[in-house]
Amino acid sequence: MNIPFNHLLVIAFLLFLMGLGSILVRRNVIRVLIGVEIMLNAAGLVLVGSSALWSRVDGQLFAVFLMAIEAAEVALALALVIYLRRRKGTLNINAFNEMRG
Amino acid sequence: MATIVFYVLAVLALFGTYLCVTRSNPVHAILYLVNVLFAVALMYYLLGAPLVAAWEVIVYAGAVMVLFVFIIMMLELTPDQEMTRVGWLRWGPTVLLVLVLFCALVLMVAVDPETSKGIVDTYVSPKAFGYSLFTRYPLAVQIISFHLFIAAIGAYYLGRGGGSRKHSGKEEEE
Amino acid sequence: MNPELIFLIPLLPLLGAVINMVFGRRLPRPVSTGLAVAGVALATLLVLALWPYAGGGGTTIEFYTWFEASGLSVPLILWFDRLSASMALMVAGVSTLIHVYCLGYMVKEKDYVRFFALLNLFVFAMLVIVMAGDLLVLFLGWEGVGFCSYALIGFWYQEEKNAEAGQKAFLMTRAADVFLLIAILWLFRIFGTFSIPDILGRTDLIPAAAVTPIVLLLLAGACGKSAQFPFMSWLPDAMAGPTPVSALIHAATMVTAGVYLLCRLFPLVAVSPQGMAAIALVGTISAVYAALCALAQDEIKRVLAYSTMSQVGFMFLGVGAGALSGAVFHLYTHAFFKSLLFLGAGCVVLLSGGNNIHRMDLTPRGNPLVFWTFLVGSLALAGAPLTSGFFSKDAILMSVFSRGPYFYQLLWLLGSLTAFLTALYTFRLIYLVFWGNKNGGSGAPSVPFTMRVVLPLLAVPAMFAGLLNLPALFGGSERFSLFLEGSDAVQTLVSHRQELMLTTLAVAVFACGWLVSHGFFRKRSAPRDNALSRFLGNGFYIDQLVERFIQRPFRALARFWQRATEQMIFGGFFSGLGKMALGSGQVVRRMQTGRLSTYLGSFAWGLLFLVGYFLWCVLRG
Repeated sequence: MNIPFNHLLVIAFLLFLMGLGSILVRRNVIRVLIGVEIMLNAAGLVLVGSSALWSRVDGQLFAVFLMAIEAAEVALALALVIYLRRRKGTLNINAFNEMRG
Repeated sequence: MATIVFYVLAVLALFGTYLCVTRSNPVHAILYLVNVLFAVALMYYLLGAPLVAAWEVIVYAGAVMVLFVFIIMMLELTPDQEMTRVGWLRWGPTVLLVLVLFCALVLMVAVDPETSKGIVDTYVSPKAFGYSLFTRYPLAVQIISFHLFIAAIGAYYLGRGGGSRKHSGKEEEE
Repeated sequence: MNPELIFLIPLLPLLGAVINMVFGRRLPRPVSTGLAVAGVALATLLVLALWPYAGGGGTTIEFYTWFEASGLSVPLILWFDRLSASMALMVAGVSTLIHVYCLGYMVKEKDYVRFFALLNLFVFAMLVIVMAGDLLVLFLGWEGVGFCSYALIGFWYQEEKNAEAGQKAFLMTRAADVFLLIAILWLFRIFGTFSIPDILGRTDLIPAAAVTPIVLLLLAGACGKSAQFPFMSWLPDAMAGPTPVSALIHAATMVTAGVYLLCRLFPLVAVSPQGMAAIALVGTISAVYAALCALAQDEIKRVLAYSTMSQVGFMFLGVGAGALSGAVFHLYTHAFFKSLLFLGAGCVVLLSGGNNIHRMDLTPRGNPLVFWTFLVGSLALAGAPLTSGFFSKDAILMSVFSRGPYFYQLLWLLGSLTAFLTALYTFRLIYLVFWGNKNGGSGAPSVPFTMRVVLPLLAVPAMFAGLLNLPALFGGSERFSLFLEGSDAVQTLVSHRQELMLTTLAVAVFACGWLVSHGFFRKRSAPRDNALSRFLGNGFYIDQLVERFIQRPFRALARFWQRATEQMIFGGFFSGLGKMALGSGQVVRRMQTGRLSTYLGSFAWGLLFLVGYFLWCVLRG
């Protein structure tokens, strides 16, 4: 197969930007975290694609690292979601806004 | 043949993401995301990264997404909290921003002649992958394992109810 | 004798002052006061011992270099010539007698250490003025006497009135000192040096347009210290200080500093006829003004204060008329009889318990020593024939008369009028004090020995110092004038006939004054209180005028500026700055919403900017 790299990049951009959109618009914490997931996936796609382009394995390795880190982050993030829910009774990301000027 | 499959998978992924972002029911969104993750995993396989593809399915789709579903179920969201519909008015500026960014990025990519190189068939066996991982990035492995460990502790602590327990009448800030 | 010892003359009193200041409280009283007296006494002896060095052009002693700055070098120079030597002798001698007097006067005072230290410091400063060979050194002494006078007038500062009097004296003389400083700096600009002998030697260097202003500036500076018009109203109020202070400062030394300044710079001053005329005029105005005011005073010391003002006016008149030795001679005789009168007044106040001359119960018979010495001083002051005051005043008036046409003759007329008034108020004083309202009370405290012993010692020169400068008419040889000015100064200014006429006129003036005073005041007991006496008694209300037209607008101006600058600067500028800072803070504050969605949005915008920048870089190159 022969896929031009810029095609891959465009696909990844689209995925990433859709994830970004989800983050910016949504008020629910869960939806925001989902958006983060999407963005990270897009990054992983670019990593794997470039490792295929240059025939090196490092890109895949980084993709794996990314996955691991991301799993840890999600775990903590969801624990915080529970906490948020317990404290404020809502899942609105603007619920904790006491740190304002 | 692989090229066509790749593009089909790409379309699937994009469409799935679009649906994931726009649905109002979070469970639906997560399911669509799982779909996307499968497509992406297959794309990984086609790009010569079978181990990464496997892990994508096992870790990402199998663990992380399931965790999401668990949390949503556990939180017992009321219907108005659960279904969050976003009107077009709110989508507007963000869509605009996204489009602008997209155009800028595509322009950057198009200007660079390097990017029109083609990705050819490659295959990295798990053995080669493992060998590379443990000889060239052992430190990263260690750090990530620490990272996971700390995350586990943190998640445990936050989740056990220590977050809202009052210590001798003092209100703690987490 | 080593001429280098000249610098010890001012230094000995300074040493006395320093020892008293540092160790005074720890030493027993006789020791500290004795040291103070010894300092001044030794200075007097030293002047006498070093007298030969004053002859000729005098001896200049350079002590050390006071400061040096970019080409200007100011050494501490003392010039010991005939004028300064005789002045120094007078200052040190009279000071010694007054120090002795103070031993008795201050016997009940607990703060005597400060007093004697200040007295010695004052003598040091005065000697520095007198013996200065350099204008800056003179100014140093000038300021020094100003400060000591302030400190001594306000010696009993616990009473606000005394502190205010000291303050008034200091501020008024200080205001006059500005003019002196301008003159000094101007002279420096012309001559390039501060040294007095050098300046006096090259008076031809001064441009003609600059001489009169410089002389007027010097005159203004001299008026401040000598309490002449218009800087004179501090002197009557300065009587709030202890009596010996008045005797020393306001009779013999500080008030004569102005006269001395003009005499020292006489070769310079004489170049400008307008300047001389101004000096004479100022002196006459002050003399007449003070004599009129003295007629209406109720306190003994205030009479003497105005009298001093009047006599110093005579000295100024003498200088303005060119009679240098006449003015200086009058300065000396005045020092003796005026300090005698002040010290006697101190005894009088002690004996009668009060200041008011209408309520004193002394009699000639009951207090003979005080009476006779006081009488001697008064006769000298009034210009009784053959007293020292007679000769000195007459010398001045004669020089004024012979000086020139109408202007000086008018001044002579006013001077004679003042002499008449002097006799008038002097005898008024005597009659009211010693022959006034008598209750026969003789249970008065006695006067301490040290106070009594000084009085005759002063009375002798007050009476007989005229012999030093006996004019040819009386068979004398005018030794003093010769001494001061050399042989070219003794010119017969008037013919013998005129001289006889003038002298007779002077005697007649004195006699008239006495008779009129005898008629008015011999029997009178109650003080008059009409508008005229109040006008004269308050010094023509000049103080009130100054308050109204100078001080009040000044204060109003100060208040206005304070408000304007305060409102403008502090109100406007600084709080404006503060408001600006706060305002900008408010604007920036809105970025901190505390809402996560805002922050996420800012991430996206940042991403946009970064992408845009990279795009631009890529497109550019």
